[in-house]
Amino acid sequence: MATYDFVFSKLGLQDWCAQDQSTGPMSMKDLLSKSRGETETSQSIWEVPFPSMDNLNEACRAFPQSRELTKGLENGFLSVKDSLSIFLDPLTQPLSWFLDGALYFMLATPWWIIIPLLLLVVQLVTKSWRLVAFVGFSICTLAFIDHYEYAMQTLAIIFVCAFLCVLFGVPIGIAMSRSDTMQRLTIPILDMLQTLPPFVYLIPLIFLFSVTESKLYGIAIILYAIVPVIRLTNLGIRLVDKDVIEAADAFGMTKQQKLYRVQIPLALPNIMAGVNQTIMMSLAMVVIASLVSAPGLGVLVLRGIRNLELGVGLVAGLGIVILAVILDRVTKMSLARINASQKS
Amino acid sequence: MRKSILGAALCALTLPAVAQADCGEVSITEMNWASNAIVTGVAKFIMEEGYGCDVTVVPSDTVPAVTSVAENGEPDIVTELWLNSTGEVYNQLEEQGKVERLGKVLTPGGVEGWWIPTYLAEEHPELKTIDGIMENPELVGARFNNCPDGWGCRVVSDNLIRALDLEESGIEVFNHGSGETLASSMASAVQSEEPWLGYYWGPTVPLGKYDMTKVDMGGYDQAVHERNMNADTDNPGVSDFPAAPVLTSITTDFREREPEVADMLSKMTFETAHMSALLAWMDENNASAEETTVYFLSNNSDIWSDWLNDSARQKLAALLN
Repeated sequence: MATYDFVFSKLGLQDWCAQDQSTGPMSMKDLLSKSRGETETSQSIWEVPFPSMDNLNEACRAFPQSRELTKGLENGFLSVKDSLSIFLDPLTQPLSWFLDGALYFMLATPWWIIIPLLLLVVQLVTKSWRLVAFVGFSICTLAFIDHYEYAMQTLAIIFVCAFLCVLFGVPIGIAMSRSDTMQRLTIPILDMLQTLPPFVYLIPLIFLFSVTESKLYGIAIILYAIVPVIRLTNLGIRLVDKDVIEAADAFGMTKQQKLYRVQIPLALPNIMAGVNQTIMMSLAMVVIASLVSAPGLGVLVLRGIRNLELGVGLVAGLGIVILAVILDRVTKMSLARINASQKS
Repeated sequence: MRKSILGAALCALTLPAVAQADCGEVSITEMNWASNAIVTGVAKFIMEEGYGCDVTVVPSDTVPAVTSVAENGEPDIVTELWLNSTGEVYNQLEEQGKVERLGKVLTPGGVEGWWIPTYLAEEHPELKTIDGIMENPELVGARFNNCPDGWGCRVVSDNLIRALDLEESGIEVFNHGSGETLASSMASAVQSEEPWLGYYWGPTVPLGKYDMTKVDMGGYDQAVHERNMNADTDNPGVSDFPAAPVLTSITTDFREREPEVADMLSKMTFETAHMSALLAWMDENNASAEETTVYFLSNNSDIWSDWLNDSARQKLAALLN
């Protein structure tokens, strides 16, 4: 006798219940009652179970158990998977090429070209010799403790992913700022991407794409890191002073001209803050992405956790912190330069 | 003062007696892989229902569990301990007399090795040996799916790759980031009947579910394998993987406290093939580890009744038919 027998007998469904048997394996509860020789006693009101699928199944064997829901979801996903990947595979293929190319470039080029090149970029965007010296010192320290290769792999991945985030994020942000409908549609998706634990969207990704391809972790990082640049681009453009827009209108500027000559330049500090956040978030994702075979410092952190090699984990963690400080300083400094140039 | 000493002495006298009559608190590890959830589930059920223990399950992993035993003397029972993955630490603990091994929980033990799908082996019998694979790299997809960094097998496989000069033969080595991606690469290849070559170990769900053939490396050579177990060894060689000893281990402290339970645990053993079958059943029926435990307990009472002592057999008589 199960608690909810009366539901099915009231509805006159006994025949339906009896015809089709959908029983799961025996549960621990059944086994325990069998071994203890307990017979079912009448239930008190305190012990009435919630009418969940499993509990209803006890009363009516034809009623599906909740495991059939997961099974159904799995089968449904697997059946659309093939058609989905026909469409998604070629679309995302360039990401694999970018990532493999960047990794190859960073590792195949000798260090005495890469390090000066990086320093040159830092000098160009920040115009600060102190920062160049700091970056040079940090990278040389990492290289000195033989973490150069890992650090460069991590950097290569971040460069590609952050670049793609900006490439797609800024136009999306602009579109959001120009249309309220677009904003209403996009914001829930952004909220979801930001609150979903990264592990959750790794699961469908693993099924959708071949795990041996680099785009798998590329997509995971981009999905996670693209949110701030979209949000802040949208916000920055919406925050541009109404008076300025009015003045631009008065000059008879077209929509295009207004966007490129007025809105984007004035929103640039906000957009750059978004870029800074995006870079930091892709760095944060590097360790998790290592679980799906991304190379770099994250692999060492994982090894440290798996084998309790405290030293390996700490040094790799420190390496990530150093990279984070470098990237943060450089983007903040270029942000400050933009701010300063706007003030003058 | 006198009274309290007397009281303490009394307590000391009565406590062991109580513990013997009814087993006290026991902690047991549950490693994060499927077969161990079943082993631990079965042990927990028997200890609770047959011996009246109060069992706490500690979710853990091989190295953290051994480290925890070394540092805190807890948990009491570490089961399905893959000796090969613990390194020197476990042997040191044994020498210090902190732990003792009770016997193999899996017989003959874990299987490790490089595998190809059986349909591939049937179609191209030459792929059953590593030489055949290296002569026809394109038949296995020209890729070797390697262990994640930090696993014991990674060191061995890396040394084998060096010894075989695998990459020279045109096989790319792909280092997986986690066991999950390694398993799913195998699953997706087998499901679409594509070629696959990679490391795997059993008993596991994938090896129970998919029909795989172990690649012959030309026999097991103990000296060579031991050399291969060190990273950056000077002269790596080619050797098959031996059957990995998989043990139940308890703290010596626990042996003194609960000799009866320890005795049961020392008899507790599963055949590797049977464990694989259980895991395949679990996957087929979409069952949880707990339900698989129940499935084993209710269908294989002839196996586990041999592990029990008389009083436990009496308590569990209802299940033993």
